[in-house]
Amino acid sequence: MEILAQLVVSGIALGMIYALIAFGYQLTFATSGTLNFGQGEALMLGALVGLTLVGHMNYWLMLPLVLVFGALQGIFVERVGVLPALKTKSEFGWIMTTISLAIIFKNVAENVWGHDDITFPSPLPTAPLQFFGIRVLPMEILVVVGALAIMLAVEMFNRKSIYGKAVVATSNDRDAAGLMGINTGVVITFSYALSSMTAAFAGVLIAPLTLTGSTMGVVLGLKAFSVAIIGGLNSGMGVIVGGLILGVVETTTGYYISTGYKDVPGLLLLLLVLAIKPSGLFGKSVIKKV
Amino acid sequence: MNIKIKLIVTALAFAASCSVYAADSIKIGVSGPYTGGSSPMGISMRDGARLAASEINAKGGILGRQIELVERDDEAKNERGVQVSQELINKERVVATVGYANTGVSLASQRFYQEAKIPVLNNVATGTAVTKQFLPPEFPDNYIFRTSANDSIQSALIVKQAIEVNKYTKVAILADSTNYGQLGREDLEKALAAKNIKPVAVEKFNVKDVDMTAQLLKAKEAGAQAILTYAIGPELAQIANGMEKLGWKVPMIGSWTLSMGNFIDNAGKNGEGAHMPQTFIQEPNTPKRKAFIDAYLKTYNPPKGRIASPVSAAQGYDSMYILATAIKQAGSTDGVKVRQALENLQEKVEGVVTTYNHPYTHDDHEAITINMVVMGKVQDGHVVYANQSDKGEVVREKDAKAKK
Repeated sequence: MEILAQLVVSGIALGMIYALIAFGYQLTFATSGTLNFGQGEALMLGALVGLTLVGHMNYWLMLPLVLVFGALQGIFVERVGVLPALKTKSEFGWIMTTISLAIIFKNVAENVWGHDDITFPSPLPTAPLQFFGIRVLPMEILVVVGALAIMLAVEMFNRKSIYGKAVVATSNDRDAAGLMGINTGVVITFSYALSSMTAAFAGVLIAPLTLTGSTMGVVLGLKAFSVAIIGGLNSGMGVIVGGLILGVVETTTGYYISTGYKDVPGLLLLLLVLAIKPSGLFGKSVIKKV
Repeated sequence: MNIKIKLIVTALAFAASCSVYAADSIKIGVSGPYTGGSSPMGISMRDGARLAASEINAKGGILGRQIELVERDDEAKNERGVQVSQELINKERVVATVGYANTGVSLASQRFYQEAKIPVLNNVATGTAVTKQFLPPEFPDNYIFRTSANDSIQSALIVKQAIEVNKYTKVAILADSTNYGQLGREDLEKALAAKNIKPVAVEKFNVKDVDMTAQLLKAKEAGAQAILTYAIGPELAQIANGMEKLGWKVPMIGSWTLSMGNFIDNAGKNGEGAHMPQTFIQEPNTPKRKAFIDAYLKTYNPPKGRIASPVSAAQGYDSMYILATAIKQAGSTDGVKVRQALENLQEKVEGVVTTYNHPYTHDDHEAITINMVVMGKVQDGHVVYANQSDKGEVVREKDAKAKK
């Protein structure tokens, strides 16, 4: 029982990381119907910029600066990669542009920060805390709390503020929102800024747990993508549940079946969801009228 | 402005001097991972090879010609290694290639050298299969050589440390899912079986995995007294840190990669005491080693005065000298003649790891034997000799009959 609890706790921490990155996919998909396939690289850039800043200041002071950097990076991706594709009504152009931008970011990071994996100094004690025999790192708690907090903040902003309502309106119906006088272009740019900002935030949150380096985002970005598909690309609840499912399934399969197969159940689940409920566990199916 | 002009002039002069040599230089390929988790091995290996080449060139080169290294990054990816080997063979027309830090890349790439009859000196990759891909009778001549301690040597020493020295009876194996990790795991299981021991847990993980809880819990629940590892630096650090998280601390004994800088730095205090087999430890206990360490530190100035992967640097350096000696003896850059010279090397080569006295024969392409390999351990962020008795000044030469 204690082992199961330990596995579940570790799985939750892992799952929240996936959920936070998946949340970023969702933000841009809602407003523009496009995804930033460089989400993992946005995370990596955030972590590396954070690492550089943390050499000069306190971890908590560094956080807002990294958020600003993430937002700017998102705007850059949208302006350079996505906007031209949206303008020309290209169905798939943005896929290639976001992927190529991701490769460019990775190469730039290799040139600036080198090729090696570096340790990120932990802002909290590294000794584990013990609850009823279950051991948790303080940093893991911070990841879960931080991820929930930023998702909640974005949701509150969307529901309560007038700007947030413009975002919701755009995601409901971009053309109608445009006719109502909402500058949907700005809203889309804004959603990219928010999306990369959450990714950068995820980067600095998890960096003390993992290692920091130019390749850290690749696997995480991919797993988060399957979380976004499993949970549904238009459901905030979906990514959290999807992330937790994937995280817990990974650790428990690793222990009870075989560590060689720990990625299999997640992928099976992905295939099942795509076959039975393509819009995701919590997604609303949208009928596309042509 | 003035400085700019000076720089341009220097660059032009440099380019001109290069092109003078390029006309009749001897091209040697250097293929290794200069990026990613394996990069400490690749970069140290390359720097060691560069150091040897520049020393040889300063003494007038070989056959009156200068060595020109053609360095390519194989990114530790099998498919990239194949591209690099084809480029080196067909476009650059290298005389021979040294390198490969990753067993998988080596196995995928060297087929092309074998077909082109161009010798390859593996100076870091340790997979037992590396030199055994092209054996008679199917292939009359094998063009693949090695200057590193292969996995059957390493696994024997790991098991010896765990079972004979530390008297453990329950051990767990944790290996990554690459060719390196899985071939190493097989060798470890064989070496354990020879001592009538079955590992209590055999676990696997992927490169870039960030959570080792499941693997470590299984080893813990099975009552493992030590963890035997086959993986590379970053994931080894995740294992050490994962043990700290679970509040479970048993010794780590593993392949030589536990000496990589990215394990030692990322594991910090959790990595202290890890044991691994080494062909070279950064300690100046012989005059040759002192000269090598001094020259390396002076030329490349690595952080904290620590070579990122001392073993790779030493083996990279030695491989270049062995190759140069063979080319000199062959009196030609023809691949067949160089191979024959390697298999019957007359001159002794004084290297960093050992003095190579007839390192290869037609049927034995391993320069390192088990008697040359010592155990190292991590102490205060450095790799030191685990047994002071190994620290002598005696150079251990090849002993093909040394018992495992």
